[in-house]
Amino acid sequence: MAVEPGSVLLVVGPSGSGKSTLARGLAGLLPGQFPGTWSGSVRIDGREIAKDGSAAGAVGPGGAVDAGAVELAVDAAAAGGLHVAVEAANAPPLTPVDLGAGIVLQDPASQLVMERVGDDVAFGLENLAWPLLAMRRRVPEALASVGLTGFEDRRSTRLSGGEQQRVALAGVLAPAPGLLVLDEPTASLDPEGAEVVMRILASLREREAATIVLVDHRAELAWPLADVVLALGHDGRPIDVGPPDAVLQRSGSALRNAGIWLPEDREAVAGARTAWASRAAAAPAASVPILEFQDVRFAFPDTEPVLRDIALTVLPGERIALVGANGSGKTTLLRLALGLLRPTAGVVRLGSRSPWRLAPVQVARLAGYVVQDPELGFLADTVREEVDLGLDREQVRFAHELCERLNLPLQTFADRSPYRLSGGEQRRLSLVTGLARRPLLLALDEPTFGQDRRGHEALVAALDDLVWQGSALLAATHDERFVRDATSRRVELAGGWIIADEPVGREAAA
Amino acid sequence: MSAATIVPEIAQAQRESILGRTNPLTKLAIALAWLLGLGLTVDLRPPLLLALAALLAGLSIGGLTPGALARRLAPLWLAVIGIFLANLLFARSNTDPLAIELLRIGPLRITEEALLAAGGLGARVVAIVSVGAVFALTTDATFLIDSMVQLARVSPRFAYGTLAAYQALPRLAEDLGTLRATRRLRGLREWHPRLVVGLLVRAIRHADQLAIAMDARGFGTGPRTSYRVVRWQFLDAVVLAAALAILVGALLATR
Repeated sequence: MAVEPGSVLLVVGPSGSGKSTLARGLAGLLPGQFPGTWSGSVRIDGREIAKDGSAAGAVGPGGAVDAGAVELAVDAAAAGGLHVAVEAANAPPLTPVDLGAGIVLQDPASQLVMERVGDDVAFGLENLAWPLLAMRRRVPEALASVGLTGFEDRRSTRLSGGEQQRVALAGVLAPAPGLLVLDEPTASLDPEGAEVVMRILASLREREAATIVLVDHRAELAWPLADVVLALGHDGRPIDVGPPDAVLQRSGSALRNAGIWLPEDREAVAGARTAWASRAAAAPAASVPILEFQDVRFAFPDTEPVLRDIALTVLPGERIALVGANGSGKTTLLRLALGLLRPTAGVVRLGSRSPWRLAPVQVARLAGYVVQDPELGFLADTVREEVDLGLDREQVRFAHELCERLNLPLQTFADRSPYRLSGGEQRRLSLVTGLARRPLLLALDEPTFGQDRRGHEALVAALDDLVWQGSALLAATHDERFVRDATSRRVELAGGWIIADEPVGREAAA
Repeated sequence: MSAATIVPEIAQAQRESILGRTNPLTKLAIALAWLLGLGLTVDLRPPLLLALAALLAGLSIGGLTPGALARRLAPLWLAVIGIFLANLLFARSNTDPLAIELLRIGPLRITEEALLAAGGLGARVVAIVSVGAVFALTTDATFLIDSMVQLARVSPRFAYGTLAAYQALPRLAEDLGTLRATRRLRGLREWHPRLVVGLLVRAIRHADQLAIAMDARGFGTGPRTSYRVVRWQFLDAVVLAAALAILVGALLATR
């Protein structure tokens, strides 16, 4: 396959199919940075990126390479084409700079090197030895192109996730790379932040400023941008390549079966919601709350309150989505509910007690917590140990069942290290550990982050069963699809206040 | 748990003050000169005078408010008192029969020699703490790192790596909080040696990600230029000269 200069290649595939690996490989990071073999052939601007490293060619000071044409040579006879296997070491070939490539990664904060925004944007230019005056001209331009005019002196640690991601993008765009690779740039952003990033990409595409390779799960935003779509299957081999419409027509159902989100999936899994909505109508109305907030305020010392006047009652069998922009207080609310923080004022009750007074064993019985960053929930060396940790026999049985349901079969995963799973797999493992005790309160922080379609469906079904058995779901999420599929009540936070508390999808429940 | 509480970042007022605009390397040189100068005397007065000079400079040409300075110094007074008392009570001269006795309570005997030695040491700690606090509160991290790279020829990889690691500290502190939280929610004690493993994995992961991000932007591939050019200024000479004059004055103020 070949990608024309100035066009957009969208790479889609189920969790663990090697999308990130491909993205890094294209940006020239793979063979040098990670142990692995890279077979087949990728040429950028006619230069081989990973064979023997013979084709070098540095970017001169102040100079930009031409918008690079990406060519993925498909060795159709042998393996069905692009096959990325991570096994053993290979010779280090071209660097990103040689390739004129820039990459934006998933986690905004970890890409920012310098303390101030302007310095960070200039960092890549400094490394290319741009003259000072050219840098002074270029930095404001790059910031303007991502809509952050005048941000030069701001601290990058003080920005929102969406703003940080735009700073990272500006830094990568500053040297005018011929090839721009984005590895799930919107995954950790709220919907507004994601839309802004996608709008910037759309304007880049219009100007044909760079060839763009985009890996993203937000199909409804990403597909309209694409000129070419490359769909990878579970084994990392391509299912189809071509213009988006043609791919949808030819292999739409194959993609769906592989668990890939398609643009028309906005309304998601039609069956899932109606199934539980009809059952929920028949469920007895419980009256003893699992969780109660009364006029709760919370502030870190010497700062503005993170939460103000929060009043919230959660009954068994309720499915609550906690929505709001990054930094609106969702995670803090979950942590108060779990007794990880003490309210500055007001009362929080979990069961009938103040959760922060409870012993760990008691809290664990009442509530399960799935943190936003699954790696921070891992306590053991292998997946099996992780799953079984601290559970009794009955709970272990249920946990293993959950592994099956959430596409994390122990036959395959038992002896792997939790830290070496893909992002989506890590997330599912953390869900297993959070749900295994069948706690009364399921407190989930971004449960669908990085999940493909199959992961999403399995999660919605598993949560449904637990809620049906009398648990309550309280999920902080940016994922509108999850809100529609899995919840019946939507609580929206803004600036620490609850600004909306309303039923979800009345028409579906009626 | 917010970033501000862990890594202090200096405000506009301090950054634009005279001390803020003075090159951090100049300030480091002054601190070093003062420290070495104090080695020339055991008297109480020079260190106290230098401490006073540092604090007054911080308040006048450093743009600091008394409140901010006091908050920064508060925990350090404990250290000063601790060092003073320990040296006063456990000095060897207290058991010396020839030493001049000042006070005796039961088995506790305090001599003039011990008081002088402990006072001198305490005064030195006061000086170090005051100078250090004023330096930290008027020095911008980026300015310090840029100066180290451009003027002191420190390796950029080391310097920028340090700056980035410094910025990652608050994240690591947050990670520790979350690790403890997940232990608690799984019915386990929050503090456990195993936490170190999780934290180590995170630290390596942060470092790794950062190295990737830096390499992806062409760091370390060849000669580099600087966006923020740092040069020695006339101001540095003035501040250095004034500081040395203060040191000489303080040293002359002995008995």
